[in-house]
Amino acid sequence: MDDDVLIVEDLEKIYSGGVHAVRGVSFKVKKGESVAIIGSSGSGKSTVLRCINRLIEPTNGIIKLNGEIINNPLADVNEIRSKIGMVFQSFELFSHLKVLENITLGLKHVRGMNKEESEKIALEVLDRVDMLDRIDAYPGNLSGGQKQRVAIARSLAMHPEVILFDEPTSALDPELIGSVLQTIRGLADEGMTMVIVTHEINFAKDVADRIIYMDKGLIEEEGPSDIIEKPKTDRLKEFLSAMDEE
Amino acid sequence: MFPKEERIWAWQKIPESSRIIFFASIIIIIFLTPNLAEGYESTWDEVNINSNNNYNAAVIDSNGDAWVFGDNGVIIHGEKLTNWSIVNSPTVEDILTADSNENLVVAAGKNGVVIYKEILSNEWINIDIDNQTRINSVSINNFDEIVIVTDLGGIQIYKDNEWLQINSLTSEKLFDITFENERGLISGSSGLILGSEDNGLTWEVRDTPEIVAESEIISIGYYKANRAYAITSEGNILKSTQESLTTTVGYSWTIKEIESENYSTSMNVNLTSLEILSTTKILLTGEEGFVALSKDGGNIVTPQLLPDGNTYLKINDMAMENAFRGIIVGDNGKIFYTENGGEDNPVGFEIIDLSNFNEFVDFTKDNLWEGLKATVKIVIFGILLGFFLGIMLAMCKTAPTTLKQMIESDLEKTLILFWIGIPISIFSTRENGIGLGIFTFLSIISISILLDQYINKKNTESDGFLGILIPEQHRNKVIKILGLSLLIGVPISGGMNINGGVELIYSALVDFHDFQLGSDTPKLSAQLAYIFAPIGNPSAFFALIIGIGLTYLGILFILTNGTFTKKTIYAGKLILLVILWTVILTELFVGFNLDKFDLNVSNLMKFGLLLGIGFFLTRRIIPKLSRKEIKINDFSISIDPWSLRPLNSIATLYTDFFRNTPLLVQFMFIHFGMQLGKHIQNIGVDFTGDLAIISSYLGPLDNLISPLIEYVNESLFGPGKRSYLSAIFALGLNSAAYQCETIRGAIAAIPSGQMEAGRSIGLTYMGTMRLIILPQAIRICIPPLGNEMVNLVLNSSLASVIAYTELTRQGKLVVAITFQIFWTWGMVMIAYFVVTWTLAILLRRLEEKTRIPGLGISGGN
Ligand SMILES: Nc1ncnc2c1ncn2[C@@H]1O[C@H](COP(=O)(O)OP(=O)(O)OP(=O)(O)O)[C@@H](O)[C@H]1O
Ligand SMILES: [Mg+2]
Repeated sequence: MDDDVLIVEDLEKIYSGGVHAVRGVSFKVKKGESVAIIGSSGSGKSTVLRCINRLIEPTNGIIKLNGEIINNPLADVNEIRSKIGMVFQSFELFSHLKVLENITLGLKHVRGMNKEESEKIALEVLDRVDMLDRIDAYPGNLSGGQKQRVAIARSLAMHPEVILFDEPTSALDPELIGSVLQTIRGLADEGMTMVIVTHEINFAKDVADRIIYMDKGLIEEEGPSDIIEKPKTDRLKEFLSAMDEE
Repeated sequence: MFPKEERIWAWQKIPESSRIIFFASIIIIIFLTPNLAEGYESTWDEVNINSNNNYNAAVIDSNGDAWVFGDNGVIIHGEKLTNWSIVNSPTVEDILTADSNENLVVAAGKNGVVIYKEILSNEWINIDIDNQTRINSVSINNFDEIVIVTDLGGIQIYKDNEWLQINSLTSEKLFDITFENERGLISGSSGLILGSEDNGLTWEVRDTPEIVAESEIISIGYYKANRAYAITSEGNILKSTQESLTTTVGYSWTIKEIESENYSTSMNVNLTSLEILSTTKILLTGEEGFVALSKDGGNIVTPQLLPDGNTYLKINDMAMENAFRGIIVGDNGKIFYTENGGEDNPVGFEIIDLSNFNEFVDFTKDNLWEGLKATVKIVIFGILLGFFLGIMLAMCKTAPTTLKQMIESDLEKTLILFWIGIPISIFSTRENGIGLGIFTFLSIISISILLDQYINKKNTESDGFLGILIPEQHRNKVIKILGLSLLIGVPISGGMNINGGVELIYSALVDFHDFQLGSDTPKLSAQLAYIFAPIGNPSAFFALIIGIGLTYLGILFILTNGTFTKKTIYAGKLILLVILWTVILTELFVGFNLDKFDLNVSNLMKFGLLLGIGFFLTRRIIPKLSRKEIKINDFSISIDPWSLRPLNSIATLYTDFFRNTPLLVQFMFIHFGMQLGKHIQNIGVDFTGDLAIISSYLGPLDNLISPLIEYVNESLFGPGKRSYLSAIFALGLNSAAYQCETIRGAIAAIPSGQMEAGRSIGLTYMGTMRLIILPQAIRICIPPLGNEMVNLVLNSSLASVIAYTELTRQGKLVVAITFQIFWTWGMVMIAYFVVTWTLAILLRRLEEKTRIPGLGISGGN
C-alpha cells in the first residue's frame, strides 16, 4: 500500500459545455511502475492526465500523490506540479530559449538553484536523453524527435515523483519515433514511475507493467501487459483489431 | 536553388567606423556650427575734413545740407550730407549754436556774434549784437525771426533788422531755446524752464521737478507739438506731455526714472545735447564720447558705440535730418555721420531678414530645438509608461482568475486587504494627503508579501497567507461578514468612517436630488437623467457607480453559501428583477398619473414599450423559467457573477474608456479637469520632501543622496512642470490602452500549450507569464507596438493644447513671430519625421536583435 505513488479515486470530469469526459475512473500507480493508458480518441485519456497534473480541475474524485490529496483547493498547486512531470504531444518547448535554458529554467525559478547547479543537472539529463550535442540550439532548429527528447529531459530535470506522457510520439514521423521510445524505455528500466498515454500498442505492451484501456470516460479493462494478447472485453478486442488495420 | 536574395541596402553593411563618423559629423553639425559673432559695431562713420577746430554746433537745413560751426568761426558745409567742404566765414569768433528752418540757417556764439544765411543764397550775413555777450543758443520762431539767449539770462529777438530786448524774468544762465510754431521753450540753470506762447515776445516760468532745482538744463527740444524733452548736464532726462486739451506741451515736466544699475535718475554723464527723433526715441550726446539712444522716452538709455579711438572725445552737438540720417560733431574737428539713427548694429544677425532661410533658421533654431527636446521628453516617458501599463493591462485582461477563485482561494489575502490595507491607506490619505496614502498602501502590500514569504519559508506546512488559515467551517461566515462590510462600510466615529456601498449610493442620490434640477418627482428615471447635471462634481457620479458595484458585491458575498452554488445566481437574478420592476412600476404609476389617464396612442405606446422592455429583460434574465425544469448542465445563464473576472473587467473598462474618447479631450480632462499634473506635482514634492528628511538622518550619505533628491524634485516636480506631467500621463495612459490590445493579441497568439508546459514544471501563473509567454509575445508584437509608439509621437503634438511647449506649440510661436508658415511647419514636420524615423529604426534593430531562429516567418535567414 505504501508504495502507491499515485492514487486516482472515482475521478469525474464534466467540461463546461456539458461534455462528460471522465465518468468515474480509479487506478493506482506503484513506485517504479509504468502504466500505459490506451483507448480510442475522445475516451478521456488526456483529461485524466490533465486532472492529475491539475491543469484542469476535476469535477469529482480524489487524487493522491504520495498519500497526500492534491485536488484540494488549498493545496499548493505549483509545489504539486513540480513533483509531477508532464510530456506533451506537441513538445511545448520554450521556443525563445536555447535547449540548455529550457531545462535550467524550472530548476532556477522553481527549485531556486543557481546557474552552476542547474547547468550541472541539465547536462546530466540531456546526457540521459542523448542530446548533449545540441545544447546551444534553439528548439525551432531541432527535429521533432529531438524536441521531444529535450521535453523529456526538461521533466526529468525536476526530479519528479511521476512523469505523465500524453501521446509523446503521435506528432512524430515514424522514423523519429524510435529514438523517443528508446528514451522512455530507458527511463522505465531505470525505475521511473510513469503514466503513458499512447497509441503505440506494441510499445505499451513492451514497456508498460500494466495497461489500462479506457472507453467513453470509463476504464473498460485493466491488467498486466498481456491483456493485449488476450483481451477479455469485446471493446478492447474491437479497439485492438481496429489498431491492427492501421 | 533560388538565387539568394540580397538586400539592396542595409545599415549594417556600412562598416562600423563609417557609421561612427556619420553620427559624429551629425553631432558636430548640430552642436558646433559656429554662432556668427554676436558683437556690435558702430554705425557712425567719420567724415574727413582737414580741420582741427572744435565744432560746437550743427544743423541740417531744409535742403538736407548740413552746416557745422565751430571755434574761430569755422563753417563746414556738408552738401546732402555727402560732399563736405569748408566755406568762407564772415566771423572769427567761436560759434557755439545754430538753428535752421525752411528759409534760414542761423548761427551764433561768443562776443555776440550772430550770422545767418537764406537757404537760397550762399552768402552769410553778420548781425552781431553789440553787448559782447556769450550767446548760448539761437532759434527761429514762426515769423522767421531770430531769437537768442545769453549766458547772462538775456533774451533778444531780431525784429525789423534790430535786436529787441525781451524781459527774461531771471538772471540765471540760459542754455537753450527752441520753437515749435509759435510756442517756445527756454532752459537754464537752477532747473529753469521758460515757456512762450507768442513767438517769444513774453515768457513765463514753468514748473520743473524739485530734483533738478540745482541742475543746469542744458538742452531742450520738441517733438512736433505733442512731446518735449529736456536734459541736464548731470544726466537727467525730463519729459513733458500734453496733460489736457487746454494746456500745451511744456507746461509740466516729469523726470524719467532711468533704468541704470542703482536706479538713480541720472546717467552720471555730462550731457551736451539732445535730439528727439520721435515721440519716444531720443538721442543724447555727452562728454567722453557719449552717444546714447533711448527708444522708450528715456526709461532705458543705451549707450552706442563710436568708431574706435574716440572714447574721450567731447561731443558738442548733433543734427538729424530724420529719424535715421544725421551727424554729430565734437572737438578736434570730428564729424560723424549715421544712417541708422545712431543705433549699434548687432553683427552677425543684423536686421534679421526672415525671408532669408539662413537667418530664419538662425533666429528660430533655439525655439525648434527646445520644442524637439520637449517632445522627445514626453514621448520617451509616455512610451515607457504606456508600455509597462499596457503589459500590465494585457496580463489583467488575459488573467483567468475569477471572482470566485479570488474570494475562495485567496480569502486570507482578501481579508487582509479589505480590513487592514485599504482602511489604513484611506486613513493615511485623509490625515496626510494622497501621496502618503498611496505610499502606505504600497508599503502595506509589500510588507505583507515579504512577511508571507518569510513565514511560509519557516513553516514547512505552508498554509494560508501570513500563516493565517481560516478553518473550513468558518470560511463562509467570513465571506458573509466581508459582504456585510462592503455594504455598510467601516463606521467609526469622528468623521473617519469609511462609506459602504449603500451609503455611497444614498449620498450620491441625495446629491443629485439636492440640486433640484427641474424634477421633484420621485421618478427614478427623472432623477437619473440628471446624473450628468452636477457640473463640476462628476465625483458624485463616480460615487454612485462605485456604490452600485460595492453593493452588488456585498449582496453576492452575503448570499453565498460556501460552494457558490447556482442558488446565489438565482438570488442575484431575483434582486436584479426586483430593481428592474421597481423602476418600471414607478415609471408607470408616477409617470402616467393614472387618475386622469388618457388612453391616447402616444401614452399607450409608452406604456407598452416599458412593459415590453420589462418582459424582454425578465425573459433574458430567467430564460428557462418557462420550462419548469433546471438541468444540471444549464449553462445558458447570461450573467454569472462568480465567473466574473475582476481583473479583466477593470482592464476592459480602462481600455474601452481610453479607446472610445478623443485624445484631445483626454488631454484637457486630465490636465484641466482632474489636474493630474498638479496632484502628481504635490505628491512628488511631498514625497521628495519626506525623502530629504529621511536622508538627512543618514549622515555622510546625505551629501550624496540629497543632491539627487533635489535634482529629481527639480526636474520632475519643479515649477512649471504641471503640463509636462499631465502630458506624460495623458499620452502614456492613452497609449497603454492601445498597446494593451496589441500585446493581448500577441499573448493570445502564443499556443496555450506553452502556458501548460510552464505550469507543469511548477512555475506560477505570473512566473510563466513573465518567463515564457511575455518574452515570446513581445517579440511577436514589436512591429505593431512600433506603430503604436509612432502614433504616440505624432499624438504628442496635442500636448500643445495644455500649454506644454513642445514642437507644435513652438511651431505656432515661431509662425506668430516670423510669419514664415511654409518653413516653420516644414521644419516641424521634418523634426517629427526624424523622431519617428529614429524610433522605427531602433525598433527594427530591436526586432532583428531579438529574432529567434526557427520562430516565425521573418523573411531573413
Ligand atoms: N477543454 C475542453 N472543453 C470541452 N470539452 C473537452 C475539452 N477537452 C476535451 N474535451 C472533450 O472531452 C472528451 C475527452 O477528451 P480527451 O482529450 O480527454 O480525449 P483523449 O482520450 O485524450 O483523445 P485523443 O486520443 O484523441 O487525444 C472529448 O469528447 C473532448 O471533445
Ligand atoms: Mg489526448
